[in-house]
Amino acid sequence: MDNTKENKSILRFGPLVLFVGFIFTFCILFIIMPKSDYSSTEKRYLEQFPEFSFETLFSGEFTENFETYLADQFYGRNFWKGLNSYYNLYIGHNGADGVYNGKDGYLINVPVEEKNSKVQNNINTVVKFSKSIDVPVSVEIVPSTGYIMSDKLPVNHFNYNDDIYFNQIINACSTNNIEFIDLRERFKKSSSDGIQLYYKTDHHWTTQGAYEGYKQLCDKWGITPTSEEKFNIETYDDFYGTTYSTSGFWFTDPDKVQVWNNPDDTEKNITLEIVEGDTQQTYHNMYFFNHLEEDDKYPIFLDGNHPIEHITNTNVKTGNLLIIKDSFSHCFAPFAADNFNSITLVDLRYYKGSVSEIVKKGNFDKVLVLYGIDNFATDTDLAWLK
Amino acid sequence: MVFSSIIFLFMYLPFVLLVYYIVPRKFRNLFLFIVNLIFYGWGEPVFVLLMLFSTAVDYTHGYFIDKYRDNKRKAKVFLISSVVINLSLLGFFKYAGFITNTLNVLPFVNLPVLTIPLPIGISFYTFQTMSYSIDVYRGDAPVQKNIITFGTYVALFPQLIAGPIVRYKDVAYQLDHRKETLDQVTHGVKLFMVGLGKKVLIANQMGAMWDAIRETGQANGVLGSWIGIAAYTFQIYFDFSGYSDMACGLGNMFGFEFLKNFNYPYISKTITEFWRRWHISLSTWFREYVYIPLGGNRKGVKRQIFNLLVVWFLTGFWHGAAYNFILWGLYYGIILIIEKFILMKWLEKLPSAVQHIYTLFIVMIGWTLFYFEDMGQLMSYLAGMFDFTQGIIGQEALSITISYLPLFIIAALASTPLGAKLYEKVKSGGFIWIPETAYCAVVLLLCTASLVNQSYNPFLYFRF
Repeated sequence: MDNTKENKSILRFGPLVLFVGFIFTFCILFIIMPKSDYSSTEKRYLEQFPEFSFETLFSGEFTENFETYLADQFYGRNFWKGLNSYYNLYIGHNGADGVYNGKDGYLINVPVEEKNSKVQNNINTVVKFSKSIDVPVSVEIVPSTGYIMSDKLPVNHFNYNDDIYFNQIINACSTNNIEFIDLRERFKKSSSDGIQLYYKTDHHWTTQGAYEGYKQLCDKWGITPTSEEKFNIETYDDFYGTTYSTSGFWFTDPDKVQVWNNPDDTEKNITLEIVEGDTQQTYHNMYFFNHLEEDDKYPIFLDGNHPIEHITNTNVKTGNLLIIKDSFSHCFAPFAADNFNSITLVDLRYYKGSVSEIVKKGNFDKVLVLYGIDNFATDTDLAWLK
Repeated sequence: MVFSSIIFLFMYLPFVLLVYYIVPRKFRNLFLFIVNLIFYGWGEPVFVLLMLFSTAVDYTHGYFIDKYRDNKRKAKVFLISSVVINLSLLGFFKYAGFITNTLNVLPFVNLPVLTIPLPIGISFYTFQTMSYSIDVYRGDAPVQKNIITFGTYVALFPQLIAGPIVRYKDVAYQLDHRKETLDQVTHGVKLFMVGLGKKVLIANQMGAMWDAIRETGQANGVLGSWIGIAAYTFQIYFDFSGYSDMACGLGNMFGFEFLKNFNYPYISKTITEFWRRWHISLSTWFREYVYIPLGGNRKGVKRQIFNLLVVWFLTGFWHGAAYNFILWGLYYGIILIIEKFILMKWLEKLPSAVQHIYTLFIVMIGWTLFYFEDMGQLMSYLAGMFDFTQGIIGQEALSITISYLPLFIIAALASTPLGAKLYEKVKSGGFIWIPETAYCAVVLLLCTASLVNQSYNPFLYFRF
């Protein structure tokens, strides 16, 4: 080699020792360390050793899954993911893995780009559905965090297209006799008044954000919202949400999650039925504090995602509401439960049956379509609405 | 399997290094032969058979070419048979679909459309095995009597899937007589780290930048479109030269020395120079096994122009079975002819800045032709590069550019020999191991992080 005569010191093998040491160490660590099923920080199931057969081998499926298995079970995965995210941040990117690293610890999803938007398709589906039933339909869409909290975004960011999407929805609603509940002005104002409408480490609205959405709905529907003073507000620390998990910015401070408890709502008057396929479970509360044990505390509301849930409040004598929804409704529904005797929540991501059949049997007064704009702009399951 | 993957770095390579240096020297080629097949078969096990077939066929042909060395006619028959079989393999697996599709355009032709999966690296190893038969025929290299050793050459994993194209005569001696030294292995590690860094830390990021800008299409504006293609220009260079560096580095780790494949092509002042610096092993191959046998420049200007066009048509077509690659090859053929016969004497008088701009302009237009297989998309992107009515730079393109700017500048600097010059200056000092080791540590950490996160990590040579 050309540089041997210049450098006779043993230290010249530094790179070799480092390299060999590194690849052997992580090879051995991978082999001997126990594998995990679930990553709590990333909130997802990790790939397990793939099933081996000659069929999967020759189709390339085995090798592909094996490589995912290696990446998922690599020793110190959280460290590596964090290193990758912070490296990307400091090399000039404004975030990592589709999440902006904003000011004051805000981790905000990047906007849904217009060319990928399914808003028009989805609102058309809603319009079509509204024509097939004889119950009045209202639509309430939660603006994106980045649109409302634009002062928290990194300086260099893509535009949030909420105004474009909202106008598409308003156009479709106004020509088809659907009521649209516009949250934009109220949210901008509340946000500038210092109310925290969105989580910093999660894409959802906070309980207070949901309360603002609830008040807007009550204004529009001419019903009286439960006043803020009425609630016992309980605050829980250490909530690490979804944007935290996907971004890998592990040094971000956790959020607090609030439960606004109406003392009138007790196990005597509240019933929650969770329907999954043929099984049905009944509870007498709307909050599931067992989820406080987890990093992601959002499932505290209505126990997270389920195809169908029924809330009955016997303190209220009338009112039967159907909500077609994503997870934004989970912290919203407990507020609405104070104004309706019965609420049925349908999540089309998990429920694939006919919603108009539910409407026919259900004797509903109102149907509410409630989504976060990002979900509404990307959701492909709304097509199941019929 | 690709080098920039966890399975390669943390499973395959430790295992292969460990066993290679444990087994006695006489079994090392056999061991390499076996693990080459694992490397190649990972993901596409069926094509191992193709590789074995190719090895057996070329071994046999080499044997007979050598046997009939004194009977020129017979030797030639075996040479032609070898070339025909190799080209048929390449033709069938790589070009059959393209050719049937092309013929189907003609009236009254209705051939079944073939969809044959392209065996990875076939363009590289068929060229290598052809070089063997030709080198043996020409007496440039001795025949290889040991089929295992020969198989080791054909499927040698470092350069199997993305080059460089190693001519048999360049490694013939090493196959049987290489002596691995710690200094050579250390050099290999350093080279491998340079290549891995180029691929994972620069090329993949530039690729992501190019994808992001390309998607916004016409709204990029003129500058935005040029920045986009510049990102692709960086991606393809750092990806390809990164692979070559990794290949050469891995070769060193097992005692081989391969020739340099890239030599800072983007600092060239002419296209002629560019092609002396870009994918050197391919240009050398075409020069030696096509251009010179066709007569090169020894049969008059007309014949030379014809020869150049043939070589550049083939060079383009070698990169992929699609019209745009042929177009790309002929584009360079024509520019090289113009440079050679007309432009060169003018170019040399221009200020060097102008020469650099001229070369980069041609190269970037070239990469645009190279990238877009769809003529409509190609025309629309090219139009965007010259259509000033779309503004200077779109909002999204600007945002993408800002967020990739530091890496873009790093890529630009790393395309020049500045770093290498600096290294040459300080490497005689006793403390060079400190920056070297630190560099390796940083690359290992960041690349592992990127790979574990399964960040964007494309393999660009599946068409080759």
